[in-house]
Amino acid sequence: MSIWTTLAFAIGTALASFIVYSFVAKTIQGRSDTWLSGEAATLARVSKDTPQDRLYNRVVREVAELATEELPDDRSASGQKLNSVFFLETHPNSNDAPLWVGPGPDDAFLKAIQRTNPVPGVPQSITVQGWRTAYRVVTVSDGGRTIYLGLYSRGDEVLLRTLTRRFLILWGSTVLMGFLISYLSAYRTLLRVQRIADTVAHFGSKDLGERLPQPVNSDEISRLAKTFNHMLDRLQTSVNELRSVTDAVAHDLKSPVTSIRGNLESLLSGASGEAWRDSVGEAVEGLDRLLGLLDTTLDVAEAQAGALRLDRSAIDVSVVVRQMLDLYQPSMDEHHHELIVDLQEQVFVDADWGLLHRSLSNLIENEIAHLPSGCQIAVRLRSREGSAVLVIEDNGPGFPPDIKTRVFERFVRGKQSRGHGLGLAFVDAVVRAHGGAASVADRPGGGAVITLTLPASVLPRRTTLTSNPAR
Amino acid sequence: MRLLLIEDDPAIQGFLERALSESGYQVDTASTAEAGELSALENVHDAFIVDLGLPDMDGLDLIVNFRARGLSAPVLILSARRSVDDRVKGLEQGGDDYLTKPFAVAELLARLRNLLRRPPAPLNDPVRLQAADLQLDLVRHEARRGDQLLQLTPQEFSLLEYLCRNAGRVVTRTMILDHVWGMRIDPATNVVDVHIYRLRSKVDHNSSLPLIHTIRGVGYVLKNA
Repeated sequence: MSIWTTLAFAIGTALASFIVYSFVAKTIQGRSDTWLSGEAATLARVSKDTPQDRLYNRVVREVAELATEELPDDRSASGQKLNSVFFLETHPNSNDAPLWVGPGPDDAFLKAIQRTNPVPGVPQSITVQGWRTAYRVVTVSDGGRTIYLGLYSRGDEVLLRTLTRRFLILWGSTVLMGFLISYLSAYRTLLRVQRIADTVAHFGSKDLGERLPQPVNSDEISRLAKTFNHMLDRLQTSVNELRSVTDAVAHDLKSPVTSIRGNLESLLSGASGEAWRDSVGEAVEGLDRLLGLLDTTLDVAEAQAGALRLDRSAIDVSVVVRQMLDLYQPSMDEHHHELIVDLQEQVFVDADWGLLHRSLSNLIENEIAHLPSGCQIAVRLRSREGSAVLVIEDNGPGFPPDIKTRVFERFVRGKQSRGHGLGLAFVDAVVRAHGGAASVADRPGGGAVITLTLPASVLPRRTTLTSNPAR
Repeated sequence: MRLLLIEDDPAIQGFLERALSESGYQVDTASTAEAGELSALENVHDAFIVDLGLPDMDGLDLIVNFRARGLSAPVLILSARRSVDDRVKGLEQGGDDYLTKPFAVAELLARLRNLLRRPPAPLNDPVRLQAADLQLDLVRHEARRGDQLLQLTPQEFSLLEYLCRNAGRVVTRTMILDHVWGMRIDPATNVVDVHIYRLRSKVDHNSSLPLIHTIRGVGYVLKNA
């Protein structure tokens, strides 16, 4: 990890150093070039102004030698000459020998210039055999004569070399330092991550209470630790919930299975005729209840996980509620409940027809199952502030206080209840899936109030008022 | 009537084959889509019963293959998935039907009859239904047992009509809720039984010959003795 960081850092700093280096080199070269161009122009003027006689060569040579003495920073600390300048003037008339002022014989220089064939006016680098770095050469062409002035600046070369060395040292130490810093900080971070990993690995293998130490500062790792603690909290909650759900399902499955088994076993020990039919029928009914429980458990799980597929259409809740109450009226009569119905007409919601039916049926069955005989049940529907509000109110004993806040949770049921504690959980999940809310409250004077709120319809309505698209 | 049952679970295949044979159908069975396709090409079938979860192919793809080969007999789809696939809904609109597992045999038979029903002749939609001495006038919404006019609520009349139309055949509570009330709900209470008790008290009250019978664990049947 820190290797890659270091590598990227090294490449980056090398690039930056290179840019600075080339900038410096260019500036130095520019300085030489300016000097060269100025001197070359002077020499060209002298060469032009000097008459072409016997003295010409001498005059020009002297001026050129003078010019070579004018170089800035020409002496090193030991007094040694650092720079080297050559002057070359060629004539179009090839019979004349070129005029040469410079270090050593002119052959190597002539060859190098002929090879490069420099353009007049533009300073160029020309490599001369026997010299370590290139000469900067300025060419002035005037009336057939061509003047070449070349400068080999050992000072510049030394300067650049020193610069390169310093840059290398600086770069190396920067990279090393960067590596150390990134390694140390990564090590510290990794140590903390390792602690998180250890805790998480430990979580669950023994107990679910294991947590990371509460972090003091607020950097990313601390946030990570906090997030992990939150996750562990939620995990612990859902594991505990799962345990209780599993317990509840197992408990609810055991009694029907036991009764079915008993029934079938008694058949084997020789029941006959009508008793046989009864036992088998009872077994089938028990199995149906079992399958119903499984289906409802899965439905509620699916609904709570938000995985319900909603097939929405605009539905008049008043019509659906009335149909549902018609269906359950005889059951309520059986229990001597008095039903008070107060429904506002034409209250439309965009809902899944089947899920709405099942939710309403769950609500009504919940009332029938939990009310003692002879209660009042009031069902009211209103359209209010962009919502359909359905209120089911009874004057029964109300929800037991110990479960009142949890009635919409799975497998939460009163001690007296014979249900599975899934009906209201399903209602809540379906209403939520439709963007609504379900709530329970105590009725003043005793009893329970369940309120469902669903967002009003925005879908176009079909002209007929039937609530069932299948018919 | 010859049916082709394509279902890989041997237990389900076994009881379905038995139930269908007992109801007078000739049944061919296949456990894989490949075997099913062969069998479908070998013989002419009046209907197919196809499980969606076949080992070698998705049941819906098999049905598409059937249609592509020109096999146009209706298909009854069996699905273990509780929430019904949109594609299955699409097929349902095409005249086919589906059942989710678990299902009552009575319901499977009812749906199968529905699929196999010939286009109704004009006389086939009666204005009168009769079972033993029970007569229903569907136009005037009147029911008579012998010469006695029964005082029925509209709901009770619809329920009796449904039982009468299926006279001699068992109907489940789910089927009653679906057809009489138009609701696909799964009640935990005895809401259907309460309706039946009330209807029975009116229909069979004064008669020594009860017509509405409870079949324990399955549902109800209207029949003579």
